[in-house]
Amino acid sequence: MYLIKKSSVLDIARELQKEYRVYGPVVEKETRQTMFTGVEDAAELDLNAPIPAMPPKHIVFPHFERIMSYTYDRAAKKADIRPDFDDSRKALFGIRSCDLTGIICLDRFFLGQEFVDEVYRNHRKNMFIVANTCTVPFKQCFCVCTDSGPSAREGFDLNLTDLGDQYLVEAGSEKGKKLAEKMGLAKADDSLAKRKEAIIDASVSKFDAIATDNKAWISRVVNRVTTGLIDEKVWEYIGNQCIECGACSYVCPSCSCFNIVDPQTSEEAADRMRTWDSCSYEGYSRMAGGHNPRKPVEDRRSKRFFCKLSYSQSKKYLRPGCVGCGRCQWVCPGDIGLPNVVTYIRRDIQQ
Amino acid sequence: MNYKSGICTFCGTGCGHLLDVRENRVHGVFPMQNHPVSKGRLCVRGWNVHELLNTNERITTPLIRKNGELVEASYDEAVSFLVENLSKYKKDTSDEIGFLASPRSSNEENYLLMKLARAVFRTNNICLDSDPGHRTTLDVLHAGTGMAGMLGSLEEISKSEFLMVVGIDITKQNPIIGSELHKAARAGATMVTIDTRNTQIAKLSKDFLQIRPGAYRIAMAYLAKVMIDENLHDADFVKRFTAGYEGFAASISSLRESDVEEKTGIPADRLKETARALARARSAMVFFSSGISGFDRDTISYIYNLFLAAGKVGREGCGVNPITGINNLQGSYDMGIAPDLLTGFQPLSDGAVLEKFGKEWGVKLNGAPGSSVYDLMDRLKAMVVVDHDESIIRNVSEISKMEFVAYIGAFRNNFMNYAHVVLPVSTYIESDGTFTNTERRVQLTRKKIEPAKNIIPGWQLYVKIAEKAGVKWSYGSPADVMNEIAKLTPGYASISHDTLSAIGGMKWPNGAARFDIEKSGAKAAFAPTIANFAVPVASQEYPILLMIGESQHYWHQNNLMKKTNLPLREYNATLLLYPQGYVAISPQNAKELNVRDRFPVKITSPYGSMEAMVQVTDKVKPNTAYVAYFVDEMVTKFFMEHKDVLKRGEDSTIPVRIAKV
Amino acid sequence: MSEIQNLTIPEIATITEIKDEIVDVRTFYLSFDARTGGEAPKIKSGQFVMCTVFGAGEFAVSLPACPENDRFHLTVRRVGKVTNALHALSAGDKIGIRGPFGNGFPFEEIKGKNIIYVAGGIGLIPLRSSIMHVMRNKDEFGRILLFLGARTPQELMYQYNLEEWKAAPGFETYITIDNPVPDWDGETGFVHTLIKKKNIPVKDTVAFVCGPPMMFNAVIKELTEMGIGEENIISTLERHMKCGIGKCQHCAIGRTLVCTDGPVYTYRQIKTLGEQI
Ligand SMILES: Cc1cc2nc3c(=O)[nH]c(=O)nc-3n(C[C@H](O)[C@H](O)[C@H](O)COP(=O)(O)OP(=O)(O)OC[C@H]3O[C@@H](n4cnc5c(N)ncnc54)[C@H](O)[C@@H]3O)c2cc1C
Ligand code: SF4
Ligand code: SF4
Ligand code: SF4
Ligand code: FES
Repeated sequence: MYLIKKSSVLDIARELQKEYRVYGPVVEKETRQTMFTGVEDAAELDLNAPIPAMPPKHIVFPHFERIMSYTYDRAAKKADIRPDFDDSRKALFGIRSCDLTGIICLDRFFLGQEFVDEVYRNHRKNMFIVANTCTVPFKQCFCVCTDSGPSAREGFDLNLTDLGDQYLVEAGSEKGKKLAEKMGLAKADDSLAKRKEAIIDASVSKFDAIATDNKAWISRVVNRVTTGLIDEKVWEYIGNQCIECGACSYVCPSCSCFNIVDPQTSEEAADRMRTWDSCSYEGYSRMAGGHNPRKPVEDRRSKRFFCKLSYSQSKKYLRPGCVGCGRCQWVCPGDIGLPNVVTYIRRDIQQ
Repeated sequence: MNYKSGICTFCGTGCGHLLDVRENRVHGVFPMQNHPVSKGRLCVRGWNVHELLNTNERITTPLIRKNGELVEASYDEAVSFLVENLSKYKKDTSDEIGFLASPRSSNEENYLLMKLARAVFRTNNICLDSDPGHRTTLDVLHAGTGMAGMLGSLEEISKSEFLMVVGIDITKQNPIIGSELHKAARAGATMVTIDTRNTQIAKLSKDFLQIRPGAYRIAMAYLAKVMIDENLHDADFVKRFTAGYEGFAASISSLRESDVEEKTGIPADRLKETARALARARSAMVFFSSGISGFDRDTISYIYNLFLAAGKVGREGCGVNPITGINNLQGSYDMGIAPDLLTGFQPLSDGAVLEKFGKEWGVKLNGAPGSSVYDLMDRLKAMVVVDHDESIIRNVSEISKMEFVAYIGAFRNNFMNYAHVVLPVSTYIESDGTFTNTERRVQLTRKKIEPAKNIIPGWQLYVKIAEKAGVKWSYGSPADVMNEIAKLTPGYASISHDTLSAIGGMKWPNGAARFDIEKSGAKAAFAPTIANFAVPVASQEYPILLMIGESQHYWHQNNLMKKTNLPLREYNATLLLYPQGYVAISPQNAKELNVRDRFPVKITSPYGSMEAMVQVTDKVKPNTAYVAYFVDEMVTKFFMEHKDVLKRGEDSTIPVRIAKV
Repeated sequence: MSEIQNLTIPEIATITEIKDEIVDVRTFYLSFDARTGGEAPKIKSGQFVMCTVFGAGEFAVSLPACPENDRFHLTVRRVGKVTNALHALSAGDKIGIRGPFGNGFPFEEIKGKNIIYVAGGIGLIPLRSSIMHVMRNKDEFGRILLFLGARTPQELMYQYNLEEWKAAPGFETYITIDNPVPDWDGETGFVHTLIKKKNIPVKDTVAFVCGPPMMFNAVIKELTEMGIGEENIISTLERHMKCGIGKCQHCAIGRTLVCTDGPVYTYRQIKTLGEQI
């Protein structure tokens, strides 16, 4: 454990900039909206900014990215394929615990199953992660119910906790330790670990009514979703409200569905693009000829929540898929973000 | 910061977004959280707008047709070619030349095109690409209140106690407005949907009144009659703020309950309930589709009169709210894209207005209104078309006969096949420009990337054309154009690119959230209505009423949607299933015809017939059928023969007979 | 040549020959450019590959070839953008291949059992490989029955194999078309009715069923009623696919992914997935 003065905390980012492109929370001037984005000038970073509108997922899994390009000269019968993987060195500075947990989910899913996803592996290959403890939750957060915050326990190289006038800096890896040593950060004495715990406890106590109900809030629902013992009517009620915008998947730190398309760039050339996709879209599961095993919207809707909330899906993440960031509630035009869905399912259980 | 704020320009909602712009490319999009309309939401189109903005189907160079082939040219050559050709045709009061503007162009572009037509090429034959459905709405609202735009406000939806949704599949067409309605209903507002089809918003409503096609007018008149008969109308409001009430009341007095039930297919009791709920609510709004599938004048008049009688116009949380499908449909009328209008709905026939424009433009203008290009189709010799959609297919035969056709646009499109000269322009992220959404909100979007390969923005192209035609315009930027618009247009007087730089821009007139009856000065007039309550009737020979409309996420953006992947995949759902188009019929009719989903049927009307597959759905009522006609692939000769019917929009119906093939 | 990495980036293959099968269905024989002698990657019956048509996109396609001694080929019906683009190619053209992916048929587990194949229309494509394998290794199995159905005689797949199978010793081959037509003297009616008419083994029997959903359900009903256990009915599922390697999630069904956990499932598994097929 180390300490750094509050006024110098961005020096960590500056140090990282020597080797990495640094991404972090920046408040966009015009909209006052926090975006997690690449910076040239570390001074733009704001560790106190509200939770970013978009999780940093897009840095390891971009909204729209080229994974290869190719040319095919039909006359000469010559095909040429060029992979285009992004393995540039990136540092995530000031990532919140929920979002880091999201990345851990993505890691386990993209890297840990039968096959390793090369595109993702390259994004993650040279990455440095500095997490930031939430000493005060934001109004939509419920990470305490999903075991993903308010302070990170794994997955970081460095973890920052605001102690008032200085930041506690914990190293979570050799890489992190090296950086702290290189910067000559002051060693923190062990009593500060207690202080950090107290700060986290204080933070937890501030989660609003919905979240303090603690893990039971979600775990009973997890049981129900896993066993499928939920009245069809509940899904229908939820499905009726979905306008199929896809936002819930797009903003979710652990959602990872993608589409692949080959837009042509000229007569003879095309790019292979990977773009975010959502299981809420009808075309997502529709097959050529029109057969769609998930035709009714409620069938698709239940799938997303199944993915976020069931034990069988947890196997791929080794934890629940939902990391409690609350964003899907924010962006959902149908007002059926995960917290509301949990509420409806609980209502059904109670009846 | 690589996130640049802007607005989605797919539909008339005008949602705020942030585009992820790096290396002169758009890499993604995110909703703007504190945007007054969208508040952090986007629909499937908005969330995937980067696919459109990265399409390779752009027009990359000016083109001139030589020996039947379009060949590359410079802007200079192409503009000269255009001006030379257009100059050949008779000036003033001529039927030979016409301009077809786009409801997707920015206000600045449309204003300049309008000026180009009137001041440089001396024609008033300028109109919009889509059918003038919205014009009808504006005429009614303008005549009644002096405001040619939405009377209410999207921001006030949450303050409204009663929401009526009439004939619009709003969660598909303007999904974020649909979301706003849904949220208001969840928060306690009473929502009632009246529609021929059981749409999603119908499912989310407290009450859904499924109406027979063509009977909206009667339902509206009857709601008003119930209110008046039961003395629930706002008599005080009517007295203080309105004129012409007696005439309206008289015109509906003859309606009979049994007749209404029969024609609308809705039990009178439920209509009565609705009328009472509307009257009792402290505030109420009505939403209906305005644009290609809008209502006829009479229906709109009844809707407006109903709300006026209820005292639900010009107050907080109240309003008669036409919803535009295309992003800048409202703005296009604001910019005077009509044969008889100048900006801000100022009539061309008003001498003082004409004088004002003539002075500013330094020309003597012709005050005689022109004609719609569509009305002149078979007489026009030359036509300039901007960013047109696929409805061109309805007029292919006339267009291919024209001597000269110019196409101006950013994306490749069918129209290029008929053009003699093609002039590319940049997209909305490659230049500054303003767009006016369905609630009169004028929003500025800034240039975010450099246009590809020296493509110029529309406003610069119009300046170039004017210059080649011998008129020097001295705009240095779109902001200069807006300044001129503001000078000539009372509603836009306080609008400039500076005043618009805040999030959400500014609503006309001069920032007013909505029409305000207290401040309006004049009395709001009831719209004149004819007591004609006939409905299209099916006969024994043609027992099924065929409705014609649009569907899915598609909503006019055909040309644009086809350049995306995900939105296309979503909208294409129906097209993939029914590649040659479809006709939706009720399960009951399907049973009678002994057909199942995707069986081929033959549809016969008194004028022709077509074959299509059936889609069996409980969304349509027995003895009605629904056809989406908008897509190239679906528009058959059959529809061409019913062109006049199509013009009537959402209410258009054709009595037909359907038989199994 | 397992060192060839084609998980994400396709390897290039050449179309060496194209054969018309039935209306809209063609077979494409391939050789692999980067492998010695153009030799194909090793496959298991029941697996599939992802096939890139340059400029159009990629799609999932089964491997009908016999794993032991067949030329590598794909049989494709044109239905949409990419499959149409493939049909527009000719011999000599290049395409891209990733894979093979998927689990394949469980031949080890079913040794010694009777085998019934039931295929409707192009449902025969994914079963062909298995049939060819079984034909070569007949001794390992009990009775072998083939039930093949199509709407018309013209829509019978792999005409050139049908004769071979009919003649193959130990094979009991039944072919039926939906409705009688002139010049057809074989069986008529739906496949599932045909099964009922024939004396099929039930004990120690495994059935492979593949075809359109309607036919599939009818056949399953028939077989289970006759007493074949759900765990002994095997099929391959079709789902919208994009990546083929368990990442895009388009092919999710229940808690499984068809591309990595499937495409071969027993009917018992299918039932517990809790989704429509
Ligand atoms: C395991 C498996 C094996 C298959 N084997 C064969 C075969 O041997 N022969 C054959 O003709 N067809 C086979 N199919 C079906 C074939 O993949 C689809 O017909 C094909 O993807 C349609 O692509 P398209 O671009 O022509 O159609 P479009 O309708 O344009 O589809 C666009 C995209 O959607 C996806 N998609 C749509 N339908 C399907 C589908 N049914 N399955 C998977 N992805 C789909 C694909 O990514 C496709 O590129 C198989 C499918 C699977 C899943
Ligand atoms: S499901 Fe919703 S609340 Fe949970 S992690 Fe995803 S976006 Fe956040
Ligand atoms: S954000 Fe809401 S409306 Fe949009 S797809 Fe997800 S659940 Fe449906
Ligand atoms: S509702 Fe309209 S403006 Fe909003 S995101 Fe969708 S298409 Fe764009
Ligand atoms: S095809 Fe991508 S996960 Fe199965």
